Amino acid sequence: MKLLDRHGWTASDVVPVPIEALGDGDAVLLPNDYKAADLLPLQSRLKLIAIAFPKFSDGRGFSIAKALRAQGYEGVLRATGALIPDQFAFALHVGFDQIEISDEQAERQPVEQWLGALTAIHDSYQNGEDGTASILTRRRYAAEAAA
Amino acid sequence: MSANALLDGAVVYYAAGGRWSPHLADALVAVTEAEAAGLETARLAAEAAGAVVEPEIAAVATDDAGRLVPSHVREKIRALGPTVRRDLGPQAAGEHLHVSL
Amino acid sequence: MYRYDEFDEAVVRDRVTQFRAQVKRRLEGSLTEEEFTPLRLMNGLYLQLHAYMLRIAVPYGTLSGRQMRQLAMIADKYDRGYGHFTTRQNLQLNWPKLADVPDLLSDLADVEMHCIQTSGNCIRNVTADHFAGVAADEVEDPRPTAELIRQWSTLHPEFSFLPRKFKIAVTGAARDRAAVAVHDIGLRLVRNDGGEIGYKVLVGGGLGRTPMIGKVIREFLPRDELLAFLEAIMRVYNLSGRRDNKYKARIKILVHEIGTDAFIAWVEEEYAKLDGPSVNADPAELARIAAYFAPPAYETLPAVSESFEAAKARDPDFARFAATNLFPHKVPGYTAITVSVKPIGAPPGDATSDQMRVLADLAERYSADELRITHVQNVVLPHVRLDDVPAVWAALVEAGLETPNAGLITDIIACPGMDYCKLATARSIPIAQEIAKRFADVERQALIGELGIKISGCINACGHHHVGAIGILGLDKAGVENYQITLGGDPGEQAALGQRLGPGIDADAVPEAIERIVDTYLEIRADPGEAFIDTVRRVGLDPFKPALQPTEARLEAA
Repeated sequence: MKLLDRHGWTASDVVPVPIEALGDGDAVLLPNDYKAADLLPLQSRLKLIAIAFPKFSDGRGFSIAKALRAQGYEGVLRATGALIPDQFAFALHVGFDQIEISDEQAERQPVEQWLGALTAIHDSYQNGEDGTASILTRRRYAAEAAA
Repeated sequence: MSANALLDGAVVYYAAGGRWSPHLADALVAVTEAEAAGLETARLAAEAAGAVVEPEIAAVATDDAGRLVPSHVREKIRALGPTVRRDLGPQAAGEHLHVSL
Repeated sequence: MYRYDEFDEAVVRDRVTQFRAQVKRRLEGSLTEEEFTPLRLMNGLYLQLHAYMLRIAVPYGTLSGRQMRQLAMIADKYDRGYGHFTTRQNLQLNWPKLADVPDLLSDLADVEMHCIQTSGNCIRNVTADHFAGVAADEVEDPRPTAELIRQWSTLHPEFSFLPRKFKIAVTGAARDRAAVAVHDIGLRLVRNDGGEIGYKVLVGGGLGRTPMIGKVIREFLPRDELLAFLEAIMRVYNLSGRRDNKYKARIKILVHEIGTDAFIAWVEEEYAKLDGPSVNADPAELARIAAYFAPPAYETLPAVSESFEAAKARDPDFARFAATNLFPHKVPGYTAITVSVKPIGAPPGDATSDQMRVLADLAERYSADELRITHVQNVVLPHVRLDDVPAVWAALVEAGLETPNAGLITDIIACPGMDYCKLATARSIPIAQEIAKRFADVERQALIGELGIKISGCINACGHHHVGAIGILGLDKAGVENYQITLGGDPGEQAALGQRLGPGIDADAVPEAIERIVDTYLEIRADPGEAFIDTVRRVGLDPFKPALQPTEARLEAA
């Protein structure tokens, strides 16, 4: 498995464990039908939450990530599984920090493709959890500046 | 087995030797169960290879002149072109005209 | 109509570059077909029986003369010189080549158009009333709302990989011409007791395998809360919509399975957690968008146009067209013309590039440079002076677009069906052609009055047969095309799903069956003013059932 963040390949020796085996651990792997609100009691001690993406076309993980950020989780969020480069920007937007992919996929889709895909669409109509201001927000700033 | 060519979407038929041809007459026909299984294997391989898109297997028969004719009306339309625009599709180039609905 | 600012422009330009790179990666193998398929679908590129099909977005059905002219150019340059107007107000091309599509998208971007999200498991084109802005019964033009939703839903990071497609429609009028009750989300602009504008929100309508009428989940949503409320609905759907079965994956199934009350509770719970200000558009943004939809500079004209009246008196063909294809405009002296793209015997909704250019010219000259595509597959010129209608009509006659059948029995909706579509189980276009030929006589059509026939070539119901006054569904019965007829469907504010009249019949038998249904209607209608749909509502299906029996059986029974 290889790990990516917005700058390129990265590494981590933190291994998340499935929620049922978490115990006192601070790194958890959630299935993509998990209800984010159920994590609230443990959230503050978690350093890493990984969310499984069994298929890239199954977009539930995007909503779970968004919900976790909305309920105040500030640690690392990792999408693990079959995402494709064209989803990288979406993942960062909803609050993921990292994507974990298979070695096979990393061979077929080198890091240049992943980083290139990040900037394919420069502006977004939605505000991002990663701090990206939406087009609507930027229009408001521009109008206020002009006023 | 038919599929759509990747670049222009035109219908192509799986022929002997694993090549794809726009001519129905070239299509490889599976008759026995073993041949049918082989064709299904070829379909999965074609899907994975990605040189053609959405390979499908369909029934054919032969007419009195020994020419292949698709059995189902959907495949007949696929061989000819839209029935409501005779000026479009393979039929417009004179292809597959022995296939009638 | 809306004009892109530099942000909107940049998004569609970036999108073209992105798709060009995606095609390249597909061709060189770094993207598998499985990975590429949703990407090409999200750019409207389907695979059909004979070729690719490209669906071009026409947001809420509104376009300018320049845009229509560009569509004509694109149809000539990349396709076979014609396009098909769809039941979601879009345009489809049936013969594009994959390698050409990036250039095609670039030509679209030149006129502020795109194919973004016209397919795929994402939020699709937002449709609206095709008489928006000109109908007297309108609370507010729905198109600023539709444009706002378009922007919010475009490349939404959270909602681009939904369980299934998602369709939103908006209407601002009492008469619902946008079929909001059969959309995943339907929005009706309403005024509350305090005179404030807000939305009545319906969720879970839809056609296809399991047709359903949408349920009201909010009677009044304040205008400024729209986007956040939509996000709450989408989040519930994205998290809980079924993903195990493609035919059970729409939001209507979720609403049905958990129950409307439970669904409302989920949405309200999600909505309460949401950070409204980070999602909602501020009033200044909505006002900025709304300004683009300000009415054109109408002249002050008398309600009656003498030259128009004189033309009707002179020319009975013109008089007939005026009686059927004109919509009463809220501004005196004006009308909205429905241009029928249903010439008798032709494929419904297909227009040649030459016809598109004629429409572009007419829009620029006579309709404040604006056109609408309707979900009945026709085109509207929305701002025409009555004085100019004779000249417009003359041009339509020359272009073969003068058929005086708006809303009549030969104004048939038909999906492309098995002549084009991989999903189809039967052909639909030839059925439409044969029925239209049977009822070609204009006097007879006038006598029959308003009657919507809608034909789908498979259970996916892209022809909207469930909401046809007469619906026809084409199926496969032991390898032979077989057609089921339904009666009593209605897409409007009295939304209803059609009921099956009887067993399916052969293609050859369909025109005859329609004739007998119509004859029955003419016999039993309360008076000539009672429309077909109202007669069916009043008497039910039983009086019409004999229409399906073969002639011998009926003669025996008599």
